[in-house]
Amino acid sequence: MSTPVPVPRDLWEEDLPGIVSAWLFEDGDTVSEGDLIAELMVEKTSYDLTAPKAGRLRILVQPEIPFQRGDVIASIE
Amino acid sequence: MNAPLNRTKRNLTVAKAMAEALAQEMRRDPSVLVMGEDIGRLGGVFGNTRGLFEEFGAARVRDTPISETAFIGAAVGMACVGMKPVVELMFVDFFGVCMDAIYNLAAKNCYFSGGQSPVPMVLMTSTGGGYGDAGQHSQCLYGTFAHLPGMKVVVPSNAYDAKGLMLSAIRDPNPVVYMFHKALQGMGWLGTVKGAINDVPEDDYVVPIGKAAIARPGRDVTLVGLGATVHHALDAAEELAKEGIDAEVIDLRSLVPLDRETVLASVRKTGRLVVADDDYRSFGVSGEIIALAGESAFAALKAAPARVAFPDIPIPFSPALERPLLPDGAKIAAAARAACGKA
Repeated sequence: MSTPVPVPRDLWEEDLPGIVSAWLFEDGDTVSEGDLIAELMVEKTSYDLTAPKAGRLRILVQPEIPFQRGDVIASIE
Repeated sequence: MNAPLNRTKRNLTVAKAMAEALAQEMRRDPSVLVMGEDIGRLGGVFGNTRGLFEEFGAARVRDTPISETAFIGAAVGMACVGMKPVVELMFVDFFGVCMDAIYNLAAKNCYFSGGQSPVPMVLMTSTGGGYGDAGQHSQCLYGTFAHLPGMKVVVPSNAYDAKGLMLSAIRDPNPVVYMFHKALQGMGWLGTVKGAINDVPEDDYVVPIGKAAIARPGRDVTLVGLGATVHHALDAAEELAKEGIDAEVIDLRSLVPLDRETVLASVRKTGRLVVADDDYRSFGVSGEIIALAGESAFAALKAAPARVAFPDIPIPFSPALERPLLPDGAKIAAAARAACGKA
């Protein structure tokens, strides 16, 4: 069963697009719950994204591609 | 790079690795403090002090006014009386207003006092361009700092080294200039070189200052890089491998002291040398490495050493003008082919 990994809606305040500045695992890597999986960037401030559960990471949004808060940018199988 | 087997992989950006090293050393040693512009509440414009202000407070993580003359001078004084300041010069390009504190005070005080007053400070500063920030925010100036005696100079190319070199730098009794390349920080807007993100142990470990690393072993040609150009050299080595040229890539990691033995051993093995440096071409690190090979490995050379560096002009703002001037994998590969007689 695949669990979506959305960008939390309250991660930053203003309605600005974010990007992934760095995925810290490869697509298909096994991650543990709580692992730091990506760093996100909004304007010049960075935010951490952690794995909501253990499993195999599927990256859905590549670095530098803009997304909005709440968008699903990965899934964990 | 050999992590203990009982721990899982933990990839970090260089920015995070630097912040982790600072936090760990601040917990261990109460005399360590951090100062600079926007390094407190903001966590550093390059992300390398994130979380420190929240954990250690305003007395040990000091946001300073925009006066490098004042706060870098203050750091020298703090170090002279036994504190261990890590002070950030946001862009190395800004060194002009604080150079007296750096090269006449920090670098010389230990000598002038007969060893009675060492200056155990770290000056961390960002280098490099490639993202259209123009001539006053894109320089490397490695050669400028490495040229002046009395300071150690380190240039990490990846997160593992960034943490280990930071811990070494803070513990070193000498002033250490810690030069981190913006493209390697893992901050999206500066361009992110993927190879800079690697596995970083949570433990306390040091990468010794003065030891280069062989980033890729090879037999046919030695490619020497530092910071960002290590990754360009690795890209070049991958291209060259498809053509039957086996390149060895050396990551200098430290400029002062320079690990001459590792460079010379490689040149004696391959007989060919290409140095890649995104600092200005003339009077810099690339010339120093080539001089080293000429002085101490001349008999082993099978071809004239070559360098791939930034031309001796101010760095253009326009990406269309800047990008073609920067070293990259293709230029390094071309220089290596020429050295191997396969141009």
